[in-house]
Amino acid sequence: MRSKYMAATSCLLAALALGVAACGDEEEPTPGGEGNEQTAEGKDLTIYSSLPLQGASRVQTEALVNGAKLALEQAGGKAGPHRVKYESLDDSTAQAGSWTPEAESANALKAAQDEATAVYIGAFNSGASKVSIPILSEAGVPQISPANTYVGLTTNDPGSEPGEPDKYYPTGDRTFARIVPKDTIQAAALVTLMKTDGCTKVAMTNDKEVYGAGLARVIELSAKEQGLELTSNDAIDKNASNYRSLAQKAKAAGADCFVYSGITANNAVQQFKDFAAALGSDAGLYGPDGVAETGFVSEKDGGIPASLNPQVKVTVATLSPDQYPPEGQEFFKQFTEKYGVDNPDPYAIYGYEAMKLALDAIERSGTGEKADIKKAIFETKDRASVLGTYSIDENGDTTLTDYGAYSVKDGELTFDQTIKAQAG
Amino acid sequence: MSVAASEAQQTPPEQKKGFELPGWAEKILIPAIVLLIAIVLPLIPSIGENAALMQQMAVALAYVVMALGLNIIVGFAGLLDLGYVAFFAFGAFAVGWFASGHFAYVNNEQGIHLLVGGNTVNLPGIHFNFLIVLVIAVILTTIAGMIIGLPTLRLRGDYIAIVTLAFGEIIGRLAVNLDGTTILGGTPVTAGRQGISPVDRIDLPFLDPFTVLDKKPWFYFALFLVVLVLFVNFRLRDSRMGRAWVALREDEIAAVAMGVPAVKTKLMAYGAGAAFGGLSGAYLASLLNTVNADQFQFSFSILVLAMVILGGLGSIWGVVIGAIVLSILNNWLIPDVINDLPSNVGLEFDMTQITFAIYGFLLLLMMILRPQGLLPERRHQMELTEHAETTDETLYTARS
Amino acid sequence: MEAASIPAGPPASQRVKQLIGTYGLTAVLLIMPVWFAIQDLTDEGNLVRLGENLVAGLSNGAIWALVAIGYTLVYGIVELINFAHGEIFMIGSFISASLIVTLGLTVDSAAVPVFFGLLAALLLAMIGSGTLNVLIERVAYRPLRSAPKLAPLITAVGMSFILQNVGLLWKGGNQQGVPDLLNAQNTLFTVFGVTIENADVLSVVVTIPLLIVMTSFINRSRLGKAMRATAQDPEAARLMGINVDTTISLTFLLGGMLAGAAGLIYAMYQTTIWFFQGFTGGLIAFTAAVMGGIGNLRGAVLGGLIIGFIQQMSDNRIGTEWTPAIVFGYLVLIMVFKPSGLLGEQTRDAG
Repeated sequence: MRSKYMAATSCLLAALALGVAACGDEEEPTPGGEGNEQTAEGKDLTIYSSLPLQGASRVQTEALVNGAKLALEQAGGKAGPHRVKYESLDDSTAQAGSWTPEAESANALKAAQDEATAVYIGAFNSGASKVSIPILSEAGVPQISPANTYVGLTTNDPGSEPGEPDKYYPTGDRTFARIVPKDTIQAAALVTLMKTDGCTKVAMTNDKEVYGAGLARVIELSAKEQGLELTSNDAIDKNASNYRSLAQKAKAAGADCFVYSGITANNAVQQFKDFAAALGSDAGLYGPDGVAETGFVSEKDGGIPASLNPQVKVTVATLSPDQYPPEGQEFFKQFTEKYGVDNPDPYAIYGYEAMKLALDAIERSGTGEKADIKKAIFETKDRASVLGTYSIDENGDTTLTDYGAYSVKDGELTFDQTIKAQAG
Repeated sequence: MSVAASEAQQTPPEQKKGFELPGWAEKILIPAIVLLIAIVLPLIPSIGENAALMQQMAVALAYVVMALGLNIIVGFAGLLDLGYVAFFAFGAFAVGWFASGHFAYVNNEQGIHLLVGGNTVNLPGIHFNFLIVLVIAVILTTIAGMIIGLPTLRLRGDYIAIVTLAFGEIIGRLAVNLDGTTILGGTPVTAGRQGISPVDRIDLPFLDPFTVLDKKPWFYFALFLVVLVLFVNFRLRDSRMGRAWVALREDEIAAVAMGVPAVKTKLMAYGAGAAFGGLSGAYLASLLNTVNADQFQFSFSILVLAMVILGGLGSIWGVVIGAIVLSILNNWLIPDVINDLPSNVGLEFDMTQITFAIYGFLLLLMMILRPQGLLPERRHQMELTEHAETTDETLYTARS
Repeated sequence: MEAASIPAGPPASQRVKQLIGTYGLTAVLLIMPVWFAIQDLTDEGNLVRLGENLVAGLSNGAIWALVAIGYTLVYGIVELINFAHGEIFMIGSFISASLIVTLGLTVDSAAVPVFFGLLAALLLAMIGSGTLNVLIERVAYRPLRSAPKLAPLITAVGMSFILQNVGLLWKGGNQQGVPDLLNAQNTLFTVFGVTIENADVLSVVVTIPLLIVMTSFINRSRLGKAMRATAQDPEAARLMGINVDTTISLTFLLGGMLAGAAGLIYAMYQTTIWFFQGFTGGLIAFTAAVMGGIGNLRGAVLGGLIIGFIQQMSDNRIGTEWTPAIVFGYLVLIMVFKPSGLLGEQTRDAG
């Protein structure tokens, strides 16, 4: 009896003591010491990223982190006079295998309390950004998302919920910017592409995630506007072993094209195979930038079989490689060298550009103060980048409207044409 | 064996050891000391001002509440529940529905407000005071617990496990898929993976509303919940109902023959266990400022179950420790310590690619080293030793 | 026997209960197919669509059946839900896919090399998965034989995390396409308008002989008898001179081998594999085992086929996002009407 309680107490104490130790460790990188080192020339700043490094999104987030690291490396770890350190935080846990609100808000709190924080790159999931935006907005930490496309985070345009976006910024301080265009723009581009290719009836699936489902919703709106018939918009279960029955249904509805709104990791390859088999070899198969990566297009990397190559087209916000500014060319060369990938997937490019923009904003801010960096981000004008030339508007949205349509040749994405999508 | 022996001597307590603490000390003094430490800790600036740490401690305490709830179902009553996440979901949705701007169109977009102050009264949506929401969460989950319990009444053993698992999965699916079904003037039932966010922060009478960056009040509120739940747990365990649960667990046929009402007793276990899950779920939703369908997955049920088993089935203090240990493991040890190891020793190795395996390995290791749990319940322990004597190393003990 | 003193029949409420007990289950099982059959007949005048669902369901279900047997075997003998079993199945898929790629087989390969390649892949996957399962039992479950019943559940979960990570490191986080050696979605022939594809034939052709061999092994051979004896009463079995440890290892070996075979069929059938496939697959197969009556081999097969059919119907008509909820809903209903599963026996635990 007694031993039981003693054990309980000592264990609890040990646990709490561990907690203390934890805090002791975590204290080290924070203000004090490093702040004092600050010289006339510049400060020591930290750029945090918060991305789900476990589970199904890992492929994309690893690319994002690699892209960001490369950008910092190219800049020699400096932005203007300031020395910049990059710390990649994980907003997923091994137990959950996906992002958790616990981890995301802990990361945001960590960045919010670190005096050296310059920019917070994240989150990957729009749902996670809804958790971190209020915290970072309260603390005045500028945030750049390389992946959130959900409309309501920045504007109250169609597709958003009532009260958005103001409810995420309780202090009214807009700190969130993104370098990926909102759903609306890519949707318009995809629909335009399908129309010009002669699709009449299109079967659509979405992966039920924030990105995929949101995009699918605006594709529906856009298709109505542009007069393209969608036969279905089916949410899929990414864990399903195949989609043959679903594809049969689409065939029965007379679909002659298929579009998938989602990311590769949500069983994209299987869907393209099954729909290709059901709709025949003339049917066009379309995907958004979520599938624009080697792992999807290349058969030898586990992507779609070579026989499907001529049928598949993908839209990406990145331009034809020959239209890149010189530093973009450099990026491709170095990325290939460093990570041994022929064709960096779009998330590597987004990660690279998110870091580039952050460094650029720190440099333009001069002081390296959070408020000035934030101002610099929102004042971004006509920035020439790997994504094309864009500005950040007062909502924090990118003004990019051009999309590249890529076809697939020999298991590689090949630039096909530029699509001008009407913003909206 | 020695444990069984001490059990036998337990009836005359003061008999053997000179420095044995009296019963009140064990039941009150030591918990009081632990509680005192927990209260004082945040007052140390380096801890209290570190919001990320305070939040993780608050989350750990919320997990303690959940684990204690599951312990009633699995530990006391012996009903293996693999769908505990359902109650987390119901508790969280109580907040999502009744304390957020989710139903923005109700009452002509004016919102419905009940005992809330500050800026909240001007917001659309349904906004009830957090304490009322807690009550709603408890009622909602208790009913849900009993409904889920109903089909399992005729089942035994692992069949219960699969049916509760099925319910957990169904609730999780509903949370994801009901974002297409609209009610109350055009709002979807759940926000699916988009998440209902933000939700109202805790706003208690006579206190300032809780804020985003100062997590101390949140921690104290969680501590209050833990104390409350611990108290209820001890009272339940030592009550008539608690004995009935144990009797059912040990031998259902004999218990029923002795007049224990099986249906009522089992449903009570489900209801009580679920209520704690709901309480904690509501608190977590408010603390984390979101109700997202991604949270309600099977792996969460397994996490809470692992806390209970690791701590020691049926042992209240054991479960508390189990929950804290696994929280530390998941939210601090793996992400903050192990992941930083290679860079600290100058290696370029990305630890996050093997985190799954590390987590699995640690679970495995802990269970093999302490199969009976960190702090086993006396009765379970007794059963164990008995078995060890009669059937030496044969099979799994079966018959829990 | 019916003495006059005993009241004539059970009271009315009892009779209703009995009626529900006997026919309720059948009614529940038939709700979906009958409903859709009526729908098809009114809309299109034939049952082709339902037939397509049935064929796809049976061939998918055959894979679940193979995995479910592993659950049922292990459960029958050690009363443990082997959560790592789904991952064994996943590793089976990975082994066979890797071998196929290593052998250089592609879509265009000739029939003979494809046949022998697949045979080799089948053997290797079975041996690999079987051995792995035995090792897991040694490392994660045997040390806990005398521990509380739920302790091995947690080590099983731990094991499954480790194996998932192995899969993740092996093939990456995305689904991986496998060379479509058999041209899986090629229509082989049609029966009454229902198309039968290569994949359907493959899954049936591999599954049925395996099932026959397995059941006859368990029913006829000495080792099989030992297994059944151990399942019934391990203590008595030990006293009769049966080596319980060996028997348990053998059970894990058999279960793992079947999972490995299922892994190969899955890889060839779906032509896509994923490190996470074992989690979902395992959950479905476990549900199948319970639905059929855990511990019962024929029950596991029946459960697997039924779940396959439900899944296809739901995918085709209700929507894939609801399929898991519908499968689990069915499970709950079956449990309500028949608490010990479709062909359930009294296991030690239930008795």
